[in-house]
Amino acid sequence: MTTAAIAGSAAAPARITLSGVTKRFVTPRTSVNALGPISLDVAEGEFVVLVGPSGCGKTTLLNLVAGFETPTDGEVRVDGALVAGPGPDRAMIFQEPALFPWLNIEDNVAFGLRQHTHMSAAERRAVALEYLRLVHLEGFEHAFVHELSGGMKQRAALARALAPRPRALLCDEPFGSLDALTRERLYAELQELHAQTRRTTMFVTHNTREAACLADRVVVLTTRPATIASVVAVDLPRPRNFYDPHVSEQAGQILAQLRAEPTAAGGGLDA
Amino acid sequence: MPEAKPLARRNLALLGFLLLLLVLWQAVWSLGLLPSYSLPSPAQVAVRLAELARDGTLWPSVQASVVRMVLGFVLSAALGLVLGLAMGLSALADSCLRSLFLGLQTLPSAAWVPIALLLFGLGDAAIYFVIVMSSMAAMAIATADGISHIPPHYLRAARSLGTSGVALSTRVALPAALPSIVTGIKLGWTLGWHGVVSAELIKSSIGLGYLLNAGRELNDAAQVVGIMLVTIFMGLLLDRVLFAWVERRIRVRWGFAPDTSRE
Ligand SMILES: Nc1ncnc2c1ncn2[C@@H]1O[C@H](COP(=O)(O)OP(=O)(O)OP(=O)(O)O)[C@@H](O)[C@H]1O
Ligand SMILES: [Mg+2]
Repeated sequence: MTTAAIAGSAAAPARITLSGVTKRFVTPRTSVNALGPISLDVAEGEFVVLVGPSGCGKTTLLNLVAGFETPTDGEVRVDGALVAGPGPDRAMIFQEPALFPWLNIEDNVAFGLRQHTHMSAAERRAVALEYLRLVHLEGFEHAFVHELSGGMKQRAALARALAPRPRALLCDEPFGSLDALTRERLYAELQELHAQTRRTTMFVTHNTREAACLADRVVVLTTRPATIASVVAVDLPRPRNFYDPHVSEQAGQILAQLRAEPTAAGGGLDA
Repeated sequence: MPEAKPLARRNLALLGFLLLLLVLWQAVWSLGLLPSYSLPSPAQVAVRLAELARDGTLWPSVQASVVRMVLGFVLSAALGLVLGLAMGLSALADSCLRSLFLGLQTLPSAAWVPIALLLFGLGDAAIYFVIVMSSMAAMAIATADGISHIPPHYLRAARSLGTSGVALSTRVALPAALPSIVTGIKLGWTLGWHGVVSAELIKSSIGLGYLLNAGRELNDAAQVVGIMLVTIFMGLLLDRVLFAWVERRIRVRWGFAPDTSRE
C-alpha cells in the first residue's frame, strides 16, 4: 500500500540515549519533580512504547528527547550528540494535534518539507498528497483545520510528522481520540512503515494492547516522578494483529506490571 | 442561508435607530432648545454639504485627508508590526518598549501636533508624524500580545519540522498572531484617523480637519456638523468594508465563524 516516495531510502535511524535524566519544574509557587532519574537506551530502528499512570511524566520525557525542555540532571543524547534543542531529525506528534489553522491540510503536511531545499513546490505537494492518502485523508487537502474531526486532525498531524522523513518519531498518545477501526488500520500502517523505514520510535500510550501490538520493548513507568518500573520485551512476529491472542496475552502482562505500581503519588520505586 | 434573515432585521433596526436620532435632532432644533447659531438643523447641514460638494471644496479635502491617512498609516503599520514582532520575540525588547508605548498611548493625538509642527514645520511630514505617533503603539502592542499568546505547541511543532530563525517569524509567529494583529490594525486605523483630523485642524490648508476649523472661524455651524458627519463616514467606510472583510476571512479560517462564502 505504501508507495515509493514513502518507503524509499530514509535517513539512518537515530540512537537515543538517556542517562540519569531528571526533570524538576520550579515555578514561583511550587516545585514539581516530574521525572526520573531515568536511564534508557533506544537502539537504532527500535520501537519503544512507554506506558505509565497519568501525570507520571511521559510527555515530559518526550519533550526532553524532542529538545523542547532541558533536563535538570543527566543527559539526553541522539547518536552520541547532546540534545541542544528541537530539530527536524526528531519529529513529535503531540497529545493535541498542533496543526496550523492558517494553512490548509495539504500545506500543513507539506510544512516540514521546506527543509529539503532540493524539492520543488510540485514535489512537495506530491509527497504531501501521498502521506494524506496514507492516513486516509485524500479529498481533504484543501480543507481548513477546523473542518476536520479530532481523529482526522490527529491523522493529519501524523502525516505532517512523517512526510519529512525524520530519523526518530516521538508520539504522545497520538491515537487517543480515534475509533477502534481507524486505529487498527493505523496500527497496520505504522507497523508497515516501521518495517520499511526502521525509524526509531518512542511512543506513549495508556492502552496496553496498543503497546503490545506495536512495541519491540515496552517500558513501564512508575507514578510521578516516573522511573522505569520494568521493561517488557515483546518478541511476537510482525505484522501483529491488534486482536491476536498473543498480543492480548502480552497486554495482560504489561497491565500486571502497571498494576504492581503503587498508586500513591511519590512512590518512586526503582526496578 | 439561515443567517440572512437576522442580518437583514439587524440592518433594519439600525436604520430605524439612525432615523430616530435624526428626528430627535430635528426636535431639539424645532423646539429651539439651543441657539440656532450653535445647532443647525439636519436640513441646513445637508444643504451646506451639498454646497461644499458643488463648489469643489469638499472632494479635494476628503481626498487629501484619505491620501495622508493611507500613506501615514502604511508607514505606521509597518513600524508597528516590526516593533511588535521584536517585542513578541524578545522579552528584553518587550519590557523596554511596552512601558514606553503604554506611556505614549496616554497622549491624545492632538497633543502630538505642537511637537510635530516644531519638528517638521508646516508640511505633510508633520501630519504623517502625528498619524504614526497616534497609531503605531497600539498596533505594536497588539502584535506583541498576539505573538506571546501563540499556543506553544505551534512553535514547538514548527521547530521540530525544521523551522528556525527568520522563517519561524514569517511562517509561524506572524500568521499565528494574525487575529490579534488585525484587531490592532483596526484600532490603529481609528487612532490614525483621529491623528490626521487633529493635525489638519491645527495647521493645514486642505483636508477635513481644515474644513472643520474653517467652519468654526466663519461661525458656520452647518459646515462644522456636516464635516464631522463626513469624517465619521469616511472613518467607518474602510473599517467596515476592508477590515471587516479581512477579519471575517480570518474568523472563518480559524473556525470561529461559519463559512458562508463557499456554498
Ligand atoms: N511546564 C510545566 N510546569 C510545571 N509542571 C509541569 C510542567 N509540565 C509538566 N508538569 C508536571 O509534571 C508532571 C508530569 O507531567 P506530564 O505532562 O509529563 O505527565 P504525563 O505522564 O504525560 O500525563 P498524561 O498521561 O496525563 O498525559 C505533572 O505533575 C505536571 O503537573
Ligand atoms: Mg501526557
